[in-house]
Amino acid sequence: MRRAAALAFARLRARPARTALAALGIAAAGAMAGAALAVSVGLATGFDRAADRADLPDVIARFDNARTPAFVDRRVRALPDIAARSFRFELNNVHLSGNEHRTGQGSLEVLVAGKRRGYTVVAGRDVSNRRGGEVVIERGLADQFGLGVGDKLHIGQLTTHVVGIAVGPDNVAFPLARAARVYIPSGPLEQRFGAAPVNVAELWLHDPSKLDEVLTQARAVAYGLHDLRFITRGGVRATLDQAAGLIVALLSAFALVTLAAAALMLATSASAEVQRRLRTIGVQRALGFSRAQVTLQHAVEGALVAAPAALAGVALGVLAAGGPAGDLLATLNELPPGPALLPWLAAAVAAMVAVVGGASAWPAWRAAGRPATEIMRGGDLARARRTRPRRGGAGGGYFALGARLAGARRGRLLATVAALGAAVAVVLLMLSLATLLDRLKQDPALLGRRYQLTVAGDLATRDLIAGVPGVAAVGERYQVDGVDAFALGSPVRLIAYPGDHTRFESPPLARGRRVAASNEAEVGQGLAQALGLDLGATLAVELQGGEARFRVVGIDRALDNEGRIAYVQPPRVVRADPALTPALAVRLTTDADPNKVVARLTALGAPPQRAGGATTSNAAFLGVLADVLRVLAGLTAVVCLYALVQGLALTARERRTTVAVLRATGAGRREIASLFAGAAVAAVVPALLVGVAVHQWVLAPAVADLAAGYADLPIGAGALELTVVALGLAALGLGAAAWMTRRAGREPVVAGLREE
Amino acid sequence: MGDVVRASGLVKAYGVGAARRRVLDGASLEVGAGELVAVVGPSGSGKSTLLHVMAGLDRLDAGTIEVAGAPVHRLGERALTRLRRDEIGLVFQAFHLVPELTGAENVVLPARANGGGAAAAARARELIEHLGLAEAAGRRPAELSGGEQQRLAIARALVNEPALVLADEPTGNLDDEAGAGVLALLRSVATGGRAVVLVTHDARAGAVADRTLRLMEGQLRSEPPA
Repeated sequence: MRRAAALAFARLRARPARTALAALGIAAAGAMAGAALAVSVGLATGFDRAADRADLPDVIARFDNARTPAFVDRRVRALPDIAARSFRFELNNVHLSGNEHRTGQGSLEVLVAGKRRGYTVVAGRDVSNRRGGEVVIERGLADQFGLGVGDKLHIGQLTTHVVGIAVGPDNVAFPLARAARVYIPSGPLEQRFGAAPVNVAELWLHDPSKLDEVLTQARAVAYGLHDLRFITRGGVRATLDQAAGLIVALLSAFALVTLAAAALMLATSASAEVQRRLRTIGVQRALGFSRAQVTLQHAVEGALVAAPAALAGVALGVLAAGGPAGDLLATLNELPPGPALLPWLAAAVAAMVAVVGGASAWPAWRAAGRPATEIMRGGDLARARRTRPRRGGAGGGYFALGARLAGARRGRLLATVAALGAAVAVVLLMLSLATLLDRLKQDPALLGRRYQLTVAGDLATRDLIAGVPGVAAVGERYQVDGVDAFALGSPVRLIAYPGDHTRFESPPLARGRRVAASNEAEVGQGLAQALGLDLGATLAVELQGGEARFRVVGIDRALDNEGRIAYVQPPRVVRADPALTPALAVRLTTDADPNKVVARLTALGAPPQRAGGATTSNAAFLGVLADVLRVLAGLTAVVCLYALVQGLALTARERRTTVAVLRATGAGRREIASLFAGAAVAAVVPALLVGVAVHQWVLAPAVADLAAGYADLPIGAGALELTVVALGLAALGLGAAAWMTRRAGREPVVAGLREE
Repeated sequence: MGDVVRASGLVKAYGVGAARRRVLDGASLEVGAGELVAVVGPSGSGKSTLLHVMAGLDRLDAGTIEVAGAPVHRLGERALTRLRRDEIGLVFQAFHLVPELTGAENVVLPARANGGGAAAAARARELIEHLGLAEAAGRRPAELSGGEQQRLAIARALVNEPALVLADEPTGNLDDEAGAGVLALLRSVATGGRAVVLVTHDARAGAVADRTLRLMEGQLRSEPPA
């Protein structure tokens, strides 16, 4: 082993440029893996990590009529299995200002009783109940206002000092969440205003699996508490999933694809290295080295290059993706993985070293198994096929010659095409995802919505609106959020239209039929999966004033609200929630100008709102996601460049004499550039075709399926994405060809001629 | 007949310090159009280096070379490339045909760099016919004998109608019969009006050459006619 390592070291030192090139490729793959892991591990474990660190309650109960702590405490004591409780008074729409920023969307959380908080302080310290003028603010507010520990924050007329910055994972962060939360102790307030009331109770259970029993009991003993609403830990997770679950799933799927592409590239690269050394292997075998010794030496050599390169690459990838991924986690009120990421990164480095070592050892093992004289004569690991010469013509010049030189090594060309094709497919996937994000944000039709505007308020305006030019249809639309009556932690959104809802919303029907009666429901596949619903099953939804039950008659591929949605008719919904009022959904004619219709409706005194997509609430959130995609796309482009340069470098190395002869016989820089461009095109064109095919028919459907089995996601690449990738690949090919031309031009011609 | 090559006081050294050695040490040479000059000498005497500096493939330490009136010792890379393309044809011991191309494609290759299209192809066909290589033209190098490959390499060297042909051990990889055929071909190239410089170990070269020069201790000396 020591001898093999010494030999491997000596060979690596003897060829520093080639070693550096191989290391560069491994580092590029490492960067891809590191970035993919930083994003996917961070997102996949972010909620649980934040919830554990913040000691998130198992249940948060909110009610409208604030009561005394003693009153609420009596209700809580009647519940089974309670391990701990904390009470707060929550006041919404509070005016906050500080550091020249202001908002009227503050949520003042007065900490009335209990030691457990449900948030974690990530900077500074928690508030003290004895000292006045202290406040802990949520991280989203700190970032938006540029506030730090020690800064002043005005809460209405009250001036406070920020003593800590906290993350409360029971909601996403401000401004993705509507309200910016600030926490103050009740003690100083009580000295001035008397005992603080309570309208939020946080409950921790001994056994969280008994959650449903506790919630059932809570409803039974909650007399005196109006408009009681529960949020469970599972419900919070579902809410966060609604904000980012789809994107997180897509990014996780991308990470898997990226890792597979990185492994393929490493294997290709290592195999090419052994290919170059066939003659040396032949000499070693002739000198008495055993097959195992030769194999071990190559494995060790591969590992020696791979270990530091993979480590550096993974670190680089984590650094590159860490910022955007951290921003994304911060937006979701989740915490970065920190040291918890290290085992994953270590596993990635170990896997890369193993892949390179294995990919170096396997072809060496195969080569060393052949007769030494045969290996020393040169040739491929696989025997080259004889091809018939082309008839007629004189070869088509240097460009065509370059393509033919590249094509002469079919195995390598195929490997290069495979690595490039995989990278092209991944880039196309990312660009398509970015387009999808835009469409989710802007295009209501993607969600099956056929209406473009909504008008709140007076239903009497319905006929007036219907008469406006450009309006095709107007209908009442009810929307209400409730929870499943059998699984109280599972949120459900009910959408109700009188009559046929497909006039206004028409998500594709996966199974069954459309709703035809008031006791029937069509449910999204997301809801069907979450609650185990099938055709004929009963959907029972707990609303403010009672329960509404429906028989499932259809299952939709609904994308809105992650598919946790049900289309019904209004009577049972209104009966269970009498306070519910509908809005008017307005569908425009295909040739209508939305701006003109909006102007006319506004003039009528019915100002409309535009119907948006799934994630309209926060453009910044989508911007953060786009940043993540851009970083990953950039890393993938580096991989493309490396694969191209490596393929061309191998061709140039093997055809050193040919290039020298061409230069000796009058080929100048332009002709040599043309030669390398031809070799690059031989890889780039099939790679583009392979990449497009893999994306359209394999990756896009697979990712769409992985990400949202409950919906139809149009992740196919459009003309813009294809053009961008084709032009990008062409630019990379030209860049690689130019670089190789420069390298070849620096070498004295005689050096190449002496090669023989 | 004007001189195609005028070389004077050529100096080229390799190595550093005590190992430094002048392989060319004041060598001078003139070659006229239609003349075949054979340069002989032991291995390592600097014969190939002489060809390389004449073709502008290697730089001189001192001295001057003119090829077809162009000062090779002063030209930049771009001008040297143009000079090689237009005025110099090179023939190598190992033939150096591109294995993926047929014989005809190899012959026409330098003409591609010269912007040659149909005319170059016609010229290549003419050369191939003239040199009796019609059969070899459609095959790849691996399917040809050494003699056929070297004759194709000579055709390649002639396709741009150069004033000077430089041949480096053109018979070194050939058997006697094929070697004799190649020497006769180079003789006919010179007779056709081109200057030919032939570096060789082959004793038969003296019989086809107009002059034979021996390279010893970095200097060129005339050999008595065979």
